[in-house]
Amino acid sequence: MELFDTATVLTRVMTSGVVMSIEKSDRELPGLERLLTKQTGRAKAVLLNSRSAALHAALAGQGIGYGDEISRPGLGRKDLAFLAWLGVTVREDGPAAFDHLAVDAENAGLLGESARQSTAPALVVDLTGLGFGPAAAVLTDDPAVWARAERLKIFGAYDLRTMWTQEEESPDLVPGVQFNYRLSPLVAACVRMALSQAARPHPTPGATK
Amino acid sequence: MITDFPAKPLPLPDDDDVDAELSAFGGSAIISKEHRRTVFPVITKEDVFNLMLAQRSTPERVVAEFAETYRDYVGARHALPTASGTSSLHLALVGAGVQPGDEVIVPAFTFIATAQAVVAAHAVPVFVDIDPRTYCMSPQAAAAAVTERTRAIMPVHVHGLPADVPALRALADKHGIALVEDASHAHSAKIGDQVAGSFGDAAGQSLMADKNFPLGGEGGIAFFATEESYRRAADYVERHGIDYGMSWVAAAFGTSQLARLPYYDEVRARNAALLGEALEGTGLFHAPYVPEGHVHAYNMYRITLRPDAVDLGDLPVHAVKEAVHELLVAEGVPAREWQNTPIPCHLPFQYRTGFGNGYPFSLNPGAVRDHRPEDFPVTLGMLDSTLVLCRELRAPVEYERALRYADAFEKVARRPDAIRKLVADNEYRRPYEKAARLG
Repeated sequence: MELFDTATVLTRVMTSGVVMSIEKSDRELPGLERLLTKQTGRAKAVLLNSRSAALHAALAGQGIGYGDEISRPGLGRKDLAFLAWLGVTVREDGPAAFDHLAVDAENAGLLGESARQSTAPALVVDLTGLGFGPAAAVLTDDPAVWARAERLKIFGAYDLRTMWTQEEESPDLVPGVQFNYRLSPLVAACVRMALSQAARPHPTPGATK
Repeated sequence: MITDFPAKPLPLPDDDDVDAELSAFGGSAIISKEHRRTVFPVITKEDVFNLMLAQRSTPERVVAEFAETYRDYVGARHALPTASGTSSLHLALVGAGVQPGDEVIVPAFTFIATAQAVVAAHAVPVFVDIDPRTYCMSPQAAAAAVTERTRAIMPVHVHGLPADVPALRALADKHGIALVEDASHAHSAKIGDQVAGSFGDAAGQSLMADKNFPLGGEGGIAFFATEESYRRAADYVERHGIDYGMSWVAAAFGTSQLARLPYYDEVRARNAALLGEALEGTGLFHAPYVPEGHVHAYNMYRITLRPDAVDLGDLPVHAVKEAVHELLVAEGVPAREWQNTPIPCHLPFQYRTGFGNGYPFSLNPGAVRDHRPEDFPVTLGMLDSTLVLCRELRAPVEYERALRYADAFEKVARRPDAIRKLVADNEYRRPYEKAARLG
């Protein structure tokens, strides 16, 4: 994305005054969620603040945790180390527990096509390569995966906007370990514009990537 | 409007408003609905400009420059910028030498992230009660909880008031264990001239955008007293493939915010003093206690109710608090409970599934307790008898708004008859009898 476009997006969000993920009036995070579900053809998106957070959410969303074994061929050293830290053993054979895409400025326009080839119950999309800092998402068609992954990232809460005051209606979905894996609305806004531009069939003049 | 600029200015205070009928009983509210929005954080031209400039730098440099500037401000030896307060606490514990299965003593009253960071470090949180005046970890309770497997004590500078660091430091030294601060509420808080985050062997601190010192959305920072601790934490994330890095967008926003932090600190202290003086005049309400030599950062402002001062001593204090809460909210004061039960009574510490199959609690079954709220009587007493203001004292809260809040407390305190009626008409439950809430 051009520096001018990044500057415009950041200025727009800062002018709105809403830079916090738990702000009721935040529009940036829901906007990115909508774009990602549309581009990937999945029903639900969970936004997260890093690739390893998304791996964690993809597994926790399926109820996979310490002491469990999954199938996932071809993981790199870093991902394997993280899964070992979670206490999850990885087998090379069998259908993958999750698929994984790393998006950057070069391949961002191919996200939809790549996502269509994925068949795993959770799709991890690493958005860090777009250049706005660590960012990622988990895409899924399974509402239970989404519900558990959301709760992992915001301390057992299921809705950023009411996380302070809500009462849990589904105690069985509350994860035992909980993190703050929330994504900044400023970062989300930049990612959204980069993905929108990449998906356009005819780039606007001046937008070189 | 596409900006957060207030739609309408607040009317100036009028002495007659305090004696008018309560809003909950049909009168006018001290702060009308259209004036209730509190803008936070303050975002200036400089913040915008700084983010533009940051685009011309490298992400690594933007984040490193922010971390170094803030480390210097706090006076800590080493700093590791992170994506959140929770991750900073996790790394502070790791840096301090906490190993899987170790026990870490934490207060029962805090935000749940304090205890979850212990679980993230594959260790077991051991919960202790708080001091009845400061609401921070009780050093006596902590001393009673130390075992051979205790590796660290993690006090929280709750609401922005530094915990009793000298007593806790002595306790840690006596047992040869680490003192790790949770400074997530305590930006610019001090004991003497020393800033929170620099007291312990390590510290973690949230920098999310709702804190007194906000970054661009989400962020945190871990501080370490030694190179060895810093290195241990940095190696840990590398070895385990954990992405805890801070975005340059968040960091660039923080660099310009940091330059204005002393200004905002002064405004908050001024507002706290103004409100405190007004509360002490009401009889019913009392300002937070601040020990001599401590500087409270007032990320939150916890107000204590004393019903006997307005002849309501015969009523249960929690019921008086609930009634007062309703009356204040109706007047336009967004008071909150901010926690309604001890943290060990939240579901994750009742079920203790952890990362799955009970890990890491399974490493140290002897440290695990099935807690009930009554195990923490001081915490329960505080939850029964206090209410909290959050953003309401922070810049850019105008002078006239601070005065209006003071008026609202005065107006409610003058009506014990209304409080008594609400208590009679409602069956108020104690806070912990409701489902556990984060805020």
